[in-house]
Amino acid sequence: MSSNGTPRRAFLWGALGAGVAVGATGATLPTRAEATAPDPVVPFHGIHQAGIITPAQPHAVHVAFDVLTDNRAELTDLFKTLTERARFLTAGGTPPDPGISAPPTDSGVLGPTVPADRLTVTVGVGASLFDDRYGLANRKPKQLTPMTTFPNDHLDPAESHGDLSVQLCADNRDTVVHALRDIARHTRGAMQMRWRYEGFNSPPRPAGTPRNLMGFKDGTSNLDTNDAALMDRMVWVQHNDQPWTTNGSYQVVRRIRMLVEFWDRVSINEQENMFGRRRDTGAPLDGNHENDVPNFAADPIGSAIPLTSHIRRANPRTPQSDDSRILRRPYNYDRGVDTVGNLDMGLVFVCYQQDLQRQFEAIQNRLADEPLVDYIQPVGGGYFLVLPGVQNTEDYLGRGLLT
Amino acid sequence: MPFVVRLAGGILGAAVLAGCTGHDSAQDQLTLTVSRGNCGSAWETPPSGAQKVLVRNVGTVTTEVDLIDPGTGGVYAEVEALAPNTERTMDVTFGKSSYAFRCFAEDTDAVTGPTIQVTEGSPPASPAVLPISSQDLSGAVGAYRGYVTKGLKTLADQTAALTRTLRAGDVAASRAAWLRAHLAYERLGAAYDTFGDFADQIDGLPDGLSKGVQDPEFVGLRRIEYGLWHGQPPKTLARYGDQLGTAVAGLRAEFPSARTDPNDLPLRAHEIMENALQFELTGQADQGSGTGRATIQANLDGTQAVLDALGPLMTKRYADWPQIAVWIAKTRELIKKQDGTAMDRRRLNAAVSQLVEVLAPIAAIGDVRRTS
Ligand code: HEM
Repeated sequence: MSSNGTPRRAFLWGALGAGVAVGATGATLPTRAEATAPDPVVPFHGIHQAGIITPAQPHAVHVAFDVLTDNRAELTDLFKTLTERARFLTAGGTPPDPGISAPPTDSGVLGPTVPADRLTVTVGVGASLFDDRYGLANRKPKQLTPMTTFPNDHLDPAESHGDLSVQLCADNRDTVVHALRDIARHTRGAMQMRWRYEGFNSPPRPAGTPRNLMGFKDGTSNLDTNDAALMDRMVWVQHNDQPWTTNGSYQVVRRIRMLVEFWDRVSINEQENMFGRRRDTGAPLDGNHENDVPNFAADPIGSAIPLTSHIRRANPRTPQSDDSRILRRPYNYDRGVDTVGNLDMGLVFVCYQQDLQRQFEAIQNRLADEPLVDYIQPVGGGYFLVLPGVQNTEDYLGRGLLT
Repeated sequence: MPFVVRLAGGILGAAVLAGCTGHDSAQDQLTLTVSRGNCGSAWETPPSGAQKVLVRNVGTVTTEVDLIDPGTGGVYAEVEALAPNTERTMDVTFGKSSYAFRCFAEDTDAVTGPTIQVTEGSPPASPAVLPISSQDLSGAVGAYRGYVTKGLKTLADQTAALTRTLRAGDVAASRAAWLRAHLAYERLGAAYDTFGDFADQIDGLPDGLSKGVQDPEFVGLRRIEYGLWHGQPPKTLARYGDQLGTAVAGLRAEFPSARTDPNDLPLRAHEIMENALQFELTGQADQGSGTGRATIQANLDGTQAVLDALGPLMTKRYADWPQIAVWIAKTRELIKKQDGTAMDRRRLNAAVSQLVEVLAPIAAIGDVRRTS
């Protein structure tokens, strides 16, 4: 907001009373304290937002917000403040000292100098932002709808949808928590959290792709993020009814609970047949190694890999199914105990794609009533359009949407 | 030997300092050495931009060190209560302006070091804030105490009326009388132990008591509320009314002689609403009446009284002071709109949360400081 004067209303607590907006005025760049080890930074500026093709960091939080500003000008201030906070948090640095004019500008959770810690801040918008509040109806991309309720879902409305999504990922949990507190503090009057999911990625056990909480390697077959042409075809929005969405990406977040106690009572053969892969090695049931490619054509009646198995339904590997592939970027979650004494844990399923209907929904429809549905329960989440990237220090999130 | 800002490595000279913006290795750390009667001398001109100044107390008494604008006495940064033989870092963003250090050694008059002029860069991003002394606050404290004194009289009247109504036995009339007494108390802005033991007797919650609502120590307005909204006959609650009257009378008798710490007033500016957020907006304090929103309105009245008292001191020190009125108005408007959708609720949460954010700097600015 400092680049464009002070906000109309200080619900955006950018200056925290001190009037200091680090870096934005160009006058006062924060000093980076000498680090003992190199502090890995994921660049914030770019034509795409970070946190999508960025290799998944170990810790994540996915939050949906309801936007509460009174008008479009304030909405613009909100996006500028989000941009400013993301720019600072992902670069790291020393927060400004407000002197005696205000309480400390930073929570201190990460010490006096905030490390970047490979933090990414990825911001998306939901269909509800395009209602009559901000005059954005004519900017709404056709395919951005509220999340569909699928046949096996048990969605809690309080945990579904939202005007805005923020994905924070970093190498350490405290970095993610710090970023969330910082963002919430600077935007309290402008938006409020609707729901929030904490996620983690496990280390490889013992090698290869990390495992989910059903004990299976999860993420073996995924899009190659180094293949830029493939990303342009599958992940980044290219040709569409709303040019401002170009280089954005559609995000699906779904908290899918795993009934782990029930799952642990299932025989290993049945477990493996449900996924179509070996639990120990992650190999497809027609192969020996994790990275062997399943050959469904050679197994037309599913004697090695059942026709109903998760991987076969999710990706039949036919020319027709090719353009429904998605970039999966899920996290495990673990959050307490339910009323019958069972553990509430599972998967924060997150995926990115160019087209929600062509990709995610096509897969989800193929997965309907797969045998796995008895052991999982989707309980919330939403569809969002991750905004195009912030290209430089003059740019801000949502500029194309709002101007 | 009493040279002050220097390179920690012992290399004197602005040449080495110049251009060090953007990194701060040990070699270019600015260091200020203070002791009683000595607040540095002859310091090098620092380059503009963010700097860490190491402040070291080599003297024998605890000392406060401020970085000030010598023209106005406004404070850019402070290190409070620096004990002998300790050092602290002061984060400063130097801009084009004049600066001096001012030291307040315990039991010693203030000593101001030499003025230095930073000639490059833009003016400081955050202006120096004029410190507030306890002398400065005495007018505000007096005004606020006047408000409380009047409020206590109203509370005593409403409490007496409540007890009479309870004794008469009508539930609806008792509930209405209870609300008037309760709001009279909430308007005082008694957050976080302001009224000490009297507060527990007047509006203590059952939460910390081992038997909860059944606990014999659960008394006062909240106990009466609990009874009136849980089918207990008003007459049986009259004895709580009597106890309440005694507590209020005790508070009124003690208040004139009780000293109000000047520091309390700037603190209360946000604490009343922090308390409202924690106990009323969450519904935690509710004993059945569902009057949390009315309570928040009363707490806003209490906050307003603090703000009215502090206004003359704050308007020129706190740039975002006008935002407070905006968010109070917004909160009041949302409280009235009681249709209870989840979205309205979130709007109210947002307004109260933003209000406490804009109120919080008052406590930092109003923290009592030495000026001489
Ligand atoms: C709790 C729910 C889920 C669990 C436990 C789960 C687990 C797995 C596992 C173990 C694999 C095999 C390893 C791999 O290639 O990554 C896999 C693959 C896959 N899953 Fe899921 N999954 C879940 C939900 C979903 C959902 C909701 C979708 C999309 C709608 C989905 C789409 C896919 C796709 C596309 C593949 C890759 C198939 C291939 O290319 O071979 N999964 N999943």
